[in-house]
Amino acid sequence: MSGPLSGTRGIVLTQAWAGSWCTSLLGQMGADVVQIEVRKRPDSWRGDYAAPIPSQLRDRPSAVNPWNCNPLYNSVNLGKRCITLDLGTEEGMAVFKRLLTFADFCAENFSPRVLGNFGITYEQMCEIKPDIVLASLSAYGHSGPWTNIPGIGGTIEPSSGMSGMLGYEGGPPLNSGQMFPDAIAALNGVAGIVTALRHRDLTGQGQYIDLSMMESSLASVGDAYLEYSMTGRQRPRLGNHHPSFAPHSIYPANGDQQWVAIACEDESQWGALAATAGQGWADDARFSSMASRKANEAALDEAIAAWTSGQDRDALASRLCAVGVIAAPVLDALELAEDANLRAREVIRDIDHPEAGVFPQVTLPMHFSRTKPAAPRPAPQQGQHNHEVLAELLDMSADEVDALIRSGVSGGGPPD
Amino acid sequence: MSDDSGQPRALAGVRVIDISTTPAAAWTSRLLADAGADVILIESPEGHPLRRTGPFADSGASIPEAQFLANKRSITLDLEDATSLEVARKLIAGADILVSSFTPSRLDALGLTYASFGRSDLLMTHVTPHGMTGELAEVPGNDLTVGARSGWASINGTADREPLKPAAWTSSYCAGIAAYGATVAALRWRDAHPGEGQEVDVAVTEVMAATFAPGMLRSLYTGKAQTRQSADDQLAGPVPVADGHFALTLSRAHFWRDAMNLLGLEDLAEDERYGASWFRQAHREEYSGRVAEAMSHWNKMDLFEELAIRRVVAGPVLYMPELRATDHLEARGYWRRAADDPEGPEYPGPAYQMTATPQTLDRHAPRTGEHSDEVRQEVQS
Repeated sequence: MSGPLSGTRGIVLTQAWAGSWCTSLLGQMGADVVQIEVRKRPDSWRGDYAAPIPSQLRDRPSAVNPWNCNPLYNSVNLGKRCITLDLGTEEGMAVFKRLLTFADFCAENFSPRVLGNFGITYEQMCEIKPDIVLASLSAYGHSGPWTNIPGIGGTIEPSSGMSGMLGYEGGPPLNSGQMFPDAIAALNGVAGIVTALRHRDLTGQGQYIDLSMMESSLASVGDAYLEYSMTGRQRPRLGNHHPSFAPHSIYPANGDQQWVAIACEDESQWGALAATAGQGWADDARFSSMASRKANEAALDEAIAAWTSGQDRDALASRLCAVGVIAAPVLDALELAEDANLRAREVIRDIDHPEAGVFPQVTLPMHFSRTKPAAPRPAPQQGQHNHEVLAELLDMSADEVDALIRSGVSGGGPPD
Repeated sequence: MSDDSGQPRALAGVRVIDISTTPAAAWTSRLLADAGADVILIESPEGHPLRRTGPFADSGASIPEAQFLANKRSITLDLEDATSLEVARKLIAGADILVSSFTPSRLDALGLTYASFGRSDLLMTHVTPHGMTGELAEVPGNDLTVGARSGWASINGTADREPLKPAAWTSSYCAGIAAYGATVAALRWRDAHPGEGQEVDVAVTEVMAATFAPGMLRSLYTGKAQTRQSADDQLAGPVPVADGHFALTLSRAHFWRDAMNLLGLEDLAEDERYGASWFRQAHREEYSGRVAEAMSHWNKMDLFEELAIRRVVAGPVLYMPELRATDHLEARGYWRRAADDPEGPEYPGPAYQMTATPQTLDRHAPRTGEHSDEVRQEVQS
């Protein structure tokens, strides 16, 4: 079995989350993705060369290099191979340019001036590979007055309008618990690259994709912009509430940090919830229609919370789901890893990493009935595929690759 | 490939039939339309559910309707009526892609399963809360339950409050983008392998679980589930400034040094121990009051500009009117109106700019059944 992108190759310069996960998804869809990494400036998600090994890995004899045992790196680089090349050296750049001739696409998420400094802008790449597809993922895009302002997910979330939407009713704006704009940019990068590849297949013409994390995040709250443009109003923070539907919130269940999400989008779901609760809600005039429930939402939430708070989270969610109410347990990160449904659907799989060992990981969230991808490779160790890739694509001998390693152009681990 | 006007379109000539009823699936077909596909939305006579979903403009117009249904044509068909169903099947027979949000049992009851079309070249994209297989395939869900089941709600919000779902329909958007990418990948496969269509199954919960992956593996490697942040962690998200809120998420040592110098806190800037993020976390109470006081004298855009000069990552919390007023988005030509409705509402631009095949907004959001006659004639001809 092979994914829909089998036969397609990316030679990529991605790093951290947005770029790395974008190219990981393409790899998990079957593309041969070769990640280029520079030892002097390792991927920031590998962490510091001197960082401690995470606590659950310390007893594993195989877990020796912290940079290969970082959960951040290892979670967003499935399905790739990794070679190290110092692009700041003439020799390293020469190897990169030879590799590029074998690429269908390239992707990068450096600051906008970096490619120019290396001498590998889109135009320069086209001289090497005329039909290349290049995607640049940057904070604010490659044009406009903010081009050179640095940004990361945690600063793009506020500047894109997203943080202004996230928060409890009446409370301050919040950032998400981890840098959500990176993930949004990654998904959009996949969409753009796949679209460009199709256009190239049909016309022979490559193209450049300029992805601004600010714009991709703003597009994902685009309805709130449209609300402003149609009404002049900024949508307030709604917490877990919905503009139209009530109930629509997260309620306490029995025990510490046990929560259940409950929503009703129509009268039949409300009727089922009221019947299951048996608290007389169906006869309460305040809750007799969607509009009246919305108008009396505080009282409604209080009544539901009083009913849910003594109950077992999972049993309650199951009972409600069984009668057609929109309901779910709030899973924490460790519970997610054991989720039976996601495991049955092979989205969460046990992945065996050469240093970190076997851990559940979230893999490709797309299912293809005909072009079913194979289980993904684990995230590569730094420089793991130096010999393999350079022999396969450039026909370099082991001695030639060893010479690159000895000179520091390639290799693995902290530079000498 | 080009459309009639000669503009290159990545999906020119691709016909999409959309029988879906949810924001996530509607965004999938909206993105297909923006890339140049001809998207025909099949709606029940009472209209797509998003038309009755708020928020609403004072005129009564639904905001989600305007956002998610734009760029499509609309035909009303009651899929439970045999004659209408026959028209729908004829439309699907001439389509490249069918987009659905129905559960397996609902598709079966309607007689609209993939197998029922008997066409190996058809692409059918399912965008549902939990996927088309597994124990939750028939269970209803929405952005709230997706937040709950994907791990996100457990880390959004503050430790002293309840878990918080991702804002608005961001989960649906993410699934729509993923389903779009998967669909175009399958289309590209079919281009190269004629006759080889397939079903693409995208679950909103799974897409959001995948966006949660770093939090999950970090929790597994440390043996402890990531939790919601404490409310006073000023380096984790927005904190108050004179005219709003501002995020000083200082990830590197020199960001801390340069930011503290700008804030006039030279002793904190020079104390090299604070360069390490673990040290800042552990000694928060030793500086947080002073940093908050210093920030309270700044306006957010002034602070943003001064930190930008120093190449320090930082972000002002901006709201829609402020975003509209930025010279940056204006210079990049981000804002747009539907080509056929220049007096209509202004829309945000695409998530990324494609130089050869730009995404375009050609059509206003259709009225229910606005193109029924036109589309019926196309079927008959």
